[in-house]
Amino acid sequence: MNEHKLDTTSSFADQVRAIPGGEHLDLCYSCGTCVSKCLIQQKVEPEYNPRRLLRMVMMDKREEAFKSPTTWLCSACDLCYPACPQQIHISGVIGAVKQLAVEAGYTSPLETVKVDETLCSGCAICVMSCPYGAPHLIEKEVNGVMDRFSEVDVNKCMGCGICVAACPMGAISRPGVANVDILPQVRVEKIKGVPSLVVFICDWCLREDDDVALLESYPPNVRVIHIPCSGRIDPQLALFALSSGIDGVLVCGCALGECHFKRGNYVSACKLSILDTMLEQMDVADRRVRFVRIGTQERGQIRREIDAMLELLGSFRVVN
Amino acid sequence: MVDAARHPNIDIRTYTNVERVEGYVGNFKVQLRQKARYVIRERCNGCGECARVCPIEVPNPFEMNLAPRKAAYVSMSQSVPLLYTIDIDACIHCYKCVEACGALDAIDFSQQDQVTWEDIGAIVVATGFNHFDPSPMTEYGYGKYPNVITAMEMERLNNAAGPTVGNLIRPSDGINPKNLAIINCVGSRDQRFYPWCSNFCCMYGIKNAVLLKQMYPDMNISIYYIDIRTPGKGYEEFYNRAREMGIRFIQGRPSLITEDAGTHNLFVHSEDVALGKVVEYEYDMVMLNQAAVPQPDVDSVSSVLNITQSPGGWFMEYHPKLRPIDTPTDGIFLAGACQGLKDIPASVSSGSAAASRASRILHSDQWEIEPIIAQVWEDRCISAQGKQCGLCAKACPYGAIEVEVGKPAKVFVAKCHGCGGCVAECPHNAITQMHFTDAQILAQIRTLLAEKPEEKILAFRCHWCSYGGADLAGTSHFEYSANERGIRVMCSARMDADFIYEAFRLGAGAVLYSGCHPQDCNYITGQRVGAARADRLMKIFEKMGMTPGRFRVEWISASEGDKYARVINEMQKVIDNIPREQLLKEIETLRPQMEQRARRMYETPQVDEALIYADKLKAILTAKENPGE
Repeated sequence: MNEHKLDTTSSFADQVRAIPGGEHLDLCYSCGTCVSKCLIQQKVEPEYNPRRLLRMVMMDKREEAFKSPTTWLCSACDLCYPACPQQIHISGVIGAVKQLAVEAGYTSPLETVKVDETLCSGCAICVMSCPYGAPHLIEKEVNGVMDRFSEVDVNKCMGCGICVAACPMGAISRPGVANVDILPQVRVEKIKGVPSLVVFICDWCLREDDDVALLESYPPNVRVIHIPCSGRIDPQLALFALSSGIDGVLVCGCALGECHFKRGNYVSACKLSILDTMLEQMDVADRRVRFVRIGTQERGQIRREIDAMLELLGSFRVVN
Repeated sequence: MVDAARHPNIDIRTYTNVERVEGYVGNFKVQLRQKARYVIRERCNGCGECARVCPIEVPNPFEMNLAPRKAAYVSMSQSVPLLYTIDIDACIHCYKCVEACGALDAIDFSQQDQVTWEDIGAIVVATGFNHFDPSPMTEYGYGKYPNVITAMEMERLNNAAGPTVGNLIRPSDGINPKNLAIINCVGSRDQRFYPWCSNFCCMYGIKNAVLLKQMYPDMNISIYYIDIRTPGKGYEEFYNRAREMGIRFIQGRPSLITEDAGTHNLFVHSEDVALGKVVEYEYDMVMLNQAAVPQPDVDSVSSVLNITQSPGGWFMEYHPKLRPIDTPTDGIFLAGACQGLKDIPASVSSGSAAASRASRILHSDQWEIEPIIAQVWEDRCISAQGKQCGLCAKACPYGAIEVEVGKPAKVFVAKCHGCGGCVAECPHNAITQMHFTDAQILAQIRTLLAEKPEEKILAFRCHWCSYGGADLAGTSHFEYSANERGIRVMCSARMDADFIYEAFRLGAGAVLYSGCHPQDCNYITGQRVGAARADRLMKIFEKMGMTPGRFRVEWISASEGDKYARVINEMQKVIDNIPREQLLKEIETLRPQMEQRARRMYETPQVDEALIYADKLKAILTAKENPGE
């Protein structure tokens, strides 16, 4: 056991420093800004702590670092990077540790997406859409035919579901938020009362506990569906909801620059703005499908947005 | 202050700018601009009648803009001298103040700025520091959330003479806060803003917490900190007292403050580092202990006074440990936080020290300097022949040389510190340095390289750093090559290119060019002059085809004896690795080029004396080597 002996020649810390992103490791003075800026500890894993992971690296605790949930749960959203007073690129350091962990044979414990090879056409749209470069194309023989398929690197996939929304064949699914899980919930007969509203809310845009609790307090005409990222929202889901008779759809994503999965909020904002134009052409020009950005610093914003949407939908009911 | 104002020998000039400083220690000429205050200094008795009748109200910066002041105002009620000023930008010229002043007749709207030149013996700079405005740190919401205030605002809200008469109320609704958070290191220890520790904020935050706890025992106070720094007599004890009083210390830098839009209460998000958990607590009011930063006009002050700045914008002291009060310019001293952040006891000490340093100058008729100053051979200076040159003035870190076309360069003896940079830079060898003349150094080079020069390593060392380094190598018994021969000059700026050419002309095996690290130079920027020359030489020798490593440039501090020994040993290895015939052949090939380049030095006046010196040196060395004879 050389637990207390520091090897300064080629230590774990040196290996991390040698990987791009890991350079500024030693500047950390453990102020804890990153830990409280990040939402993972509050929402997912109480043991999550980037500051402690940096410390483990500095003190050469290799195995402990590889096993730490921090190594695997960081989605490189970089909320902590601009907040860090020492300007350490923390997600870069964590990425370097993860790289070493994968090389050492550890695998990600995260729930990842699955590709259905019977549906996959090998179009590579998922490859382009993924913020982490997890899917890639492979050639292999299925049912006696050589063809191209998408395969997902489980150590890179963070489970955001952006590819699920992007796949034109519906070949990709993520357990819990696959189309089969969501579609039954957005049928009008499941939602009691008027005006009926479906709220898709990203898991990461609400920081405050009372805002999260608020979502439970709405009457049954408001159906709240939690999704990992607003990038998971396929415009077809919104169209399906409208066509089944629901009055409105509200998609809540993170503020610009705050997306937990790097760019999911941009993706959904783009898609839904195109949908907006389409709906206008279909003479549904009253903004029944809306995308809003919820800033993590804006306490109570979610209540204002939902109330405004309900008011709008209520006014349509009166006119009609 | 009032005592000082009454003292017959003290003249306090407020509302006055120092615009130009000329001259030198003991004989400064200073241009002062007394700004027009529209009040006659001699007549105003500070009664304040003008302010009472003035109808104009503007924000009062002394109260952190939490209260108004009139257009006729004193900056604060304790001002010394107590003179009112008319803020002419805000004034509407109703002249009610003139009426109110009555028989005193102290108000004069025709006043202009007065520019005067004064004779000054010594100058003490005590311009203090400024506060960081935390509004760029959007995560804390200063300027957006009404109940997030800065430490200085707290100071006014909590002051019996302040706008609330000492009643601490929160800005959003005017009630007394029950829960207060104090956040340390706002903008300081932060690479995005100011990397330094602001020295006194920990103690300052604790002081405010203790003060408030005494005034409002029910108030819950939390202090968020990264590290608590209490390096002073009784400081740690004070910190312990604060803990015992029930003030809550939370280790963890808050990453975010959110606000409840209804109550304007604030939620501070931070990690509790001791628990390793994210915590969120609700407060009525948050005080930001913001960074202390240099004054915004440090650049113009340092250019007016010809004093330098340390990184960050603090004025540079002569030596951080041995002469912390002096500046590199003789006769100008630093007091207080303008030199580096200090708390009150340290500022008072440095103020006393600066006053005592300054009085040394005022009480002496003569000023002693080192005798190693530069002197100009007036007939050789090409400026006297009407040509543009000025290289000497450019090299001088002290502004001690004045060059005017048509006249020879002039050295102000009192300003010269004797680095020798001008001497080495002058292309016409028209300047010499007393006690370090070209002839004297040439004699040393020739004597040291008299026998078997190809085996020798000639080391030029600066007096303050690398000479000390070599000395330390000797006293610490670090072994290094016995072929090393050292020559001491005051600064690497004095290491004339001609000396290096001459050494190689004489066939030196290797030459070391060593001096201080750039930030350690005893002559402000002397090392930079030397380093630029060394770079030029390195390129020249490379072009000539000299074996790499025979000319070496190293910056060695007085504490780096081991480095000195290592460098010399490495240079010895370079010489050993060249076969002797090849080395001799290289020396012979390069000799004519070296001679050509060093030729100007042989024309220098008094250079013949070198031969006499060389003979004397040789005699001394021989006597040392053969003590019996």
